[in-house]
Amino acid sequence: MPLLELEALDVCYGDLQVIWALSLAVERGTIACLLGPNGSGKSTIMNSITGLVRPRAGAIRFQGERIDRLPTYEIIERGIAHVLERRRVFPFMSVLDNLLLGSFPPRGKAKRSDQLARVFALFPVLAQRQAQLAGTLSGGEQQMLAIGRGLMARPTLLLVDEPFLGLAPVVIRELLDIFARLNREEGMTILLVEQNVEMALGMSHRGFVLESGRLVIQGPAREVLESVELRQVFLGRP
Amino acid sequence: MSLALLAQATANGLSLAGLYALVSVGLTLVFGVMRILNFAHGEFVMLGAYASFWLFTLWGLDPLASLAVVLVLMTGLGALIQTTLVKRVLAAPHLNQILLTFGIAVTFQNLALLLWTGDLRAIKVWYSASSLTLGPVSLSLGRTFGIGLAMILTGLLYLLLFRTEYGRALRAVAQDPEAALVMGIPIQRVYILAMAIGAAYAGAAGVVASVSMFTYPLIGFLFGLKAFCVVILGGLGSVFGATVASLILGLVESFVGTFFAQGSSWAEAISFVILLLVLLLRPKGLFGVE
Repeated sequence: MPLLELEALDVCYGDLQVIWALSLAVERGTIACLLGPNGSGKSTIMNSITGLVRPRAGAIRFQGERIDRLPTYEIIERGIAHVLERRRVFPFMSVLDNLLLGSFPPRGKAKRSDQLARVFALFPVLAQRQAQLAGTLSGGEQQMLAIGRGLMARPTLLLVDEPFLGLAPVVIRELLDIFARLNREEGMTILLVEQNVEMALGMSHRGFVLESGRLVIQGPAREVLESVELRQVFLGRP
Repeated sequence: MSLALLAQATANGLSLAGLYALVSVGLTLVFGVMRILNFAHGEFVMLGAYASFWLFTLWGLDPLASLAVVLVLMTGLGALIQTTLVKRVLAAPHLNQILLTFGIAVTFQNLALLLWTGDLRAIKVWYSASSLTLGPVSLSLGRTFGIGLAMILTGLLYLLLFRTEYGRALRAVAQDPEAALVMGIPIQRVYILAMAIGAAYAGAAGVVASVSMFTYPLIGFLFGLKAFCVVILGGLGSVFGATVASLILGLVESFVGTFFAQGSSWAEAISFVILLLVLLLRPKGLFGVE
């Protein structure tokens, strides 16, 4: 049984349909990436998993149970963390307050101090800047805070939306290493949205490629990377 | 200008400021969390004042005791209005939100007029006649209690906001509701909490007002208007700003009333001039962030 399963999902904004009959599955303990040009619906899919937008039809299953009608806080409590696009830290709160908010759900609160120590071990810079307002951190540090905040709820599945956007190469390498460690050391399942196709497929087990709200390619990361269709999606059809 | 007069004006100003703070912290909290201007906020004050008046008149309950009853009743009313009415317009255009809350205000005003007539009501408790004298300053005990109460309740709100889990959640929702949602914060509950606190605090202000002023169906309008001034002056959504702005307006009004000829009729005008000046020089208010 896959950890996360989307089945025949239709998502609309008003009368405008943006996702068409999309089905995909993410296996437990894997890293998967969701690729596609701008506006192809990647973030919409992430947002429907955590209930920020509601699908018009289809089903979303997590650990075998339907979650597409649950309120967002119950979805999070079941073990999904969502790191939103553009980091979205709470700018006028301290780094520590941001992290503590990540453990607002009971599953995180129960092991708050352990998890805080774990996050500080992964991102030592956050420990140094605990008392600083999150809005004054650099872009890279804010991204680390956003990921750390997500980890505070001790998720089984981590959704990360464009984590590398606008970051320096050295920070990107650091984050890539963190994702690999989370997956290897804790068996965390990660679903990632990314624009950089080669980097995303390089770190993933499986890739999904979207075009105009439809899933056009899926498979093991290496096969997707080498497929002819991938070039067609991103470079245009001949 | 004698020192005694200055001290007296300060004491009166503080008592006014306490009342303003009790009304406006809730208004600004509700706006900060839900981005809704609650035009019925003043009516919570009116209802609190009437509750205090009737509890005293019918059962002889001291306003200090009715305060506990009023806090509970108004918390319930705030939660009820949130879950049955305001919840429905959260995503609606601003005009709809204004129409709804303004409609609630008009409904409460007319209900009060219908049930309790337009008579001016006042209660005489033992401490409204006696006063506390400290050197040259003399302040009625009722007002002294008012100041104390405002300080305690405002202090409690700060404790809630900065020392509790739900307080942190309230601040998070005010800064970024969508990010707060994916933190697993039950945002509808946070909205209920904000509205309940707003109603309870405004109700407490009504109890304080019932001791030192007349109670009638339209007092809510006056308090609501003043609270809007305070909240805009302090910066929309800022609880700290509302506290500071309450102090400024309360003190300025009292000083103008004390030291200028026919000052009390000018006091109101002066506070609006301050508001206009702040809006001209710093449109987001003293402690606003937007």
